[in-house]
Amino acid sequence: MDQFIEQIVTGLSIGSILLLVALGLSIIYGSMGIINLAHGEFVMLGAYAAWVFHTYLGLGLLASLVPIFLVVAAFGWVIERYVLSLLNNRPLDTILATWGVGIMLQQAVRLSVGSELRYVQLPPALSDSMDVFGISVSSYRVFLFVVSIALFGATWLLMNRTPVGMKLRAIIQDRSVAASFGINAKRVYALTFAYGAGLAGLAGALVSPLKSVSPDMGTGYVVDAFMVVVLGGVQSLAGTVASAFILGELSGGIAFLQNDTVAKAIVLLAIVVLIRFRPEGLFTARVRA
Amino acid sequence: MSSHLDLRDVSVSFNGFKALNALNMSVRKGELRCLIGPNGAGKTTALDIICGKVKPSAGTVSFDGTALQDLEEFEIARAGVGRKFQVPSVFRELSVSENLDVARARRTSVLGNLRWNIGNSGREDIERLAELVGLTEQLDRPAAYLSHGQTQWLEIGMLVAQDAELILMDEPTAGMTAQETRKTAELFARLKGKHTLIVVEHDMGFVKAIGDIISVMHMGQMLAEGTAAEVEAHPEVRRAYLGSGGISHA
Amino acid sequence: MPSHVPNSSGLQRLIAQLAPLLIVCAIVFALPVLLNNDFLLNKVARYLVLGILTVSLGLSWGFGGILNLGQAMSFGLGSYAMAMALKLKTVPVHTGASGLPDFMVWNNVQHLPWFWEPFRSLTFAIAAGLIVPALVAAALGWFMFRGRVTGVYVSIITLATMVVINLVIIDQQSYTGGFNGITDLAQLEIFGVAFDAYGRATYYLVACCVLLSLLVAFAFTKSKAGLIVQAIRDHESRVRYFGYDVALYQIFVFALSAAIAGLAGMLYTVVMEFASPTFLGVQLSLSVVVWCAVGGRQSLVGAFLGAVLVAGMQGALSESAAFLETWTLVMGALFVLVVLFLPKGLAGLAQVVWRWIVQRRQAASGRVAQGVGQTEGST
Repeated sequence: MDQFIEQIVTGLSIGSILLLVALGLSIIYGSMGIINLAHGEFVMLGAYAAWVFHTYLGLGLLASLVPIFLVVAAFGWVIERYVLSLLNNRPLDTILATWGVGIMLQQAVRLSVGSELRYVQLPPALSDSMDVFGISVSSYRVFLFVVSIALFGATWLLMNRTPVGMKLRAIIQDRSVAASFGINAKRVYALTFAYGAGLAGLAGALVSPLKSVSPDMGTGYVVDAFMVVVLGGVQSLAGTVASAFILGELSGGIAFLQNDTVAKAIVLLAIVVLIRFRPEGLFTARVRA
Repeated sequence: MSSHLDLRDVSVSFNGFKALNALNMSVRKGELRCLIGPNGAGKTTALDIICGKVKPSAGTVSFDGTALQDLEEFEIARAGVGRKFQVPSVFRELSVSENLDVARARRTSVLGNLRWNIGNSGREDIERLAELVGLTEQLDRPAAYLSHGQTQWLEIGMLVAQDAELILMDEPTAGMTAQETRKTAELFARLKGKHTLIVVEHDMGFVKAIGDIISVMHMGQMLAEGTAAEVEAHPEVRRAYLGSGGISHA
Repeated sequence: MPSHVPNSSGLQRLIAQLAPLLIVCAIVFALPVLLNNDFLLNKVARYLVLGILTVSLGLSWGFGGILNLGQAMSFGLGSYAMAMALKLKTVPVHTGASGLPDFMVWNNVQHLPWFWEPFRSLTFAIAAGLIVPALVAAALGWFMFRGRVTGVYVSIITLATMVVINLVIIDQQSYTGGFNGITDLAQLEIFGVAFDAYGRATYYLVACCVLLSLLVAFAFTKSKAGLIVQAIRDHESRVRYFGYDVALYQIFVFALSAAIAGLAGMLYTVVMEFASPTFLGVQLSLSVVVWCAVGGRQSLVGAFLGAVLVAGMQGALSESAAFLETWTLVMGALFVLVVLFLPKGLAGLAQVVWRWIVQRRQAASGRVAQGVGQTEGST
């Protein structure tokens, strides 16, 4: 029984990291239709930012979260403004362009900081463990769970209860109509992309104490995040949450039962089958175009 | 003449909205039928049902004795149904002559189409088609460079090239100048008889110029059928169009 | 216009379109005369093979609109087919002639697995190197295109499928050599000709295959089926309503592209003298996309040259680690720029420049013809 609960808690922990990473990708994909292959690199930039703030400025992880969000969001803004906005109506090309941007970011970090692994310290206040359902869990993982839910809540509010979110939803519905009501689509897109990038940066900073930081750390994350988004369904934030935790539990469970390779292969095959038969995701209602 | 195309009690709904509600329609061979009706009457959906883009939830579509409602789009096309779309649909990166060549679907199998065309057989055919739709000068230009009216013409030309027995036209004159519209009317008059045509149109002038029998749809059903004068005098048609400024301005 | 005129102009146009292809192939064949260095020749042969692989992607992506991010899957399958046959031709140290391959012995395999058995025949292996990738692609294509999967989703499915096969190959070490791949191969020998990786024979074999695959791809794009495939790329449903079974055409071009990639894979094994899971890795697969985009996805010769030049440049710079790192950065930037501003790649640029030159010439000669007796204007 204890082992079962432990498995559930591990799954929740994996799920909260997945949600952190996928949230930004989901916003960008769902609202702009862009599959941002540089998303993993935004995560990586966030992790490096945490390392830089700590090593050179002596800032703790928690204190640097807001500046990290802003820095990576600024990066995202620049990339949207000067690369992606030139590629209207060319969805396949945006994939290629974001991938190229990802390569550049990775390589730029490798050239400037070096490719050796870096480590970020756990915040001292969260370095002990606590008791959850009779199981000892690291406080930091509980913290991550709470933060991921909180960020989801904030994003939901932003999308559904603020003028910017309303404008964004208007543009998603019909860009030209929205424009004729005086909504500046370009600006809203740039802000959306920046916000998604900022979220990715936050995710990178938050996972950096758990994993080592390296220039190519983003590749794994972008694949995982993408699976979450596909499973959850485009344009469905709640679906993203559900699928993040389902995938977290699943990959925890499968890895427990089988070896890692088989787990990976099974998840990939499941994704392939899902895309073939339900490209709109598991948690969206089928709507006729 | 027996009926050529027959829609029997065809219904279809999107998310609970009944786009077609037990629609009945029959068209004779060689006829040019105009299909009119207020916005949302289900005219385009009716064409979608015939060409297989939308599957009916109930009812049957028979064409020359073949039941179309269970066939795939390409099978319906092979049975002799051609379709022009409301938004002009051509192959933008291919040249005008290549567009017409694709439309000449004499052979449809992959292996049958692997052969080369060094001798350029069919070139005269394509040139004649281009002349018919006034695109001789543009034969070797990519379709992306054509004007909106020319694109409409190209798609009409492609349908002539396809040489389908039954041709479905969805607002063929949208975006055309008055002169282009007149030329289209002449072309349709020529196609009539050899082909069976169903034309969805808003322009009553055009409808009067080309159509023998006009079918009026409303709320997914057939409201009235007859000549232009009969239809315009029909009380229910007048009621359906009230508020949209009368039938001539629909 | 009399009917025989367009006929001859059609033929002329075909020859004009074929010219760049033939010129490039002539250079490929002439290279050993200029390049008297076996080591360098082997390197060039590698890039030519990657060029064939890129042509195969151009066929499905540029012409068919199917962005296959798992193109290296077919390449890898071809490469393993060849490696399996060449491995069985070696004399194993432990078990003697016709014994088990060395890595199987290390993994305590007792008998040659059934799917290795037919690879004792080289003919079978070569056929398999073409047919297996084509069949796998056809099956995957049937799965996707019958379900009308398009665009981005095709890319994801192809990528994921390749990763799964890659994982399986790495995981099944005792049958596939796992992470190390299949190494220590015998030389390929056909009709008594031995193909040493560093020999001229191998180079010419590769050159012949370059010519062959470019011609096959060209022939396909010029056929009516090739035209229909391009029409599907531009407007899938429109093609359907002309009575063509769109999925079949997509499956065909997908499988043809896979067969060409399989051919390239077999050659790569011969040139590199091993097969490795990296041959069907994400890295290579994505590199092929870059080469294809840079060279020009809608031009077979462009895609081929894109691969040879970019991969060649990378190879030349890889002598120095610092250069290579910078190169990757430059490559990324170049790729983004091409995607943004040159969707038709360098081939598209070449076309524009060529047209400009021709126009200027015509304008100039026109002026000369007109200009007799007139004073030159301010043009």
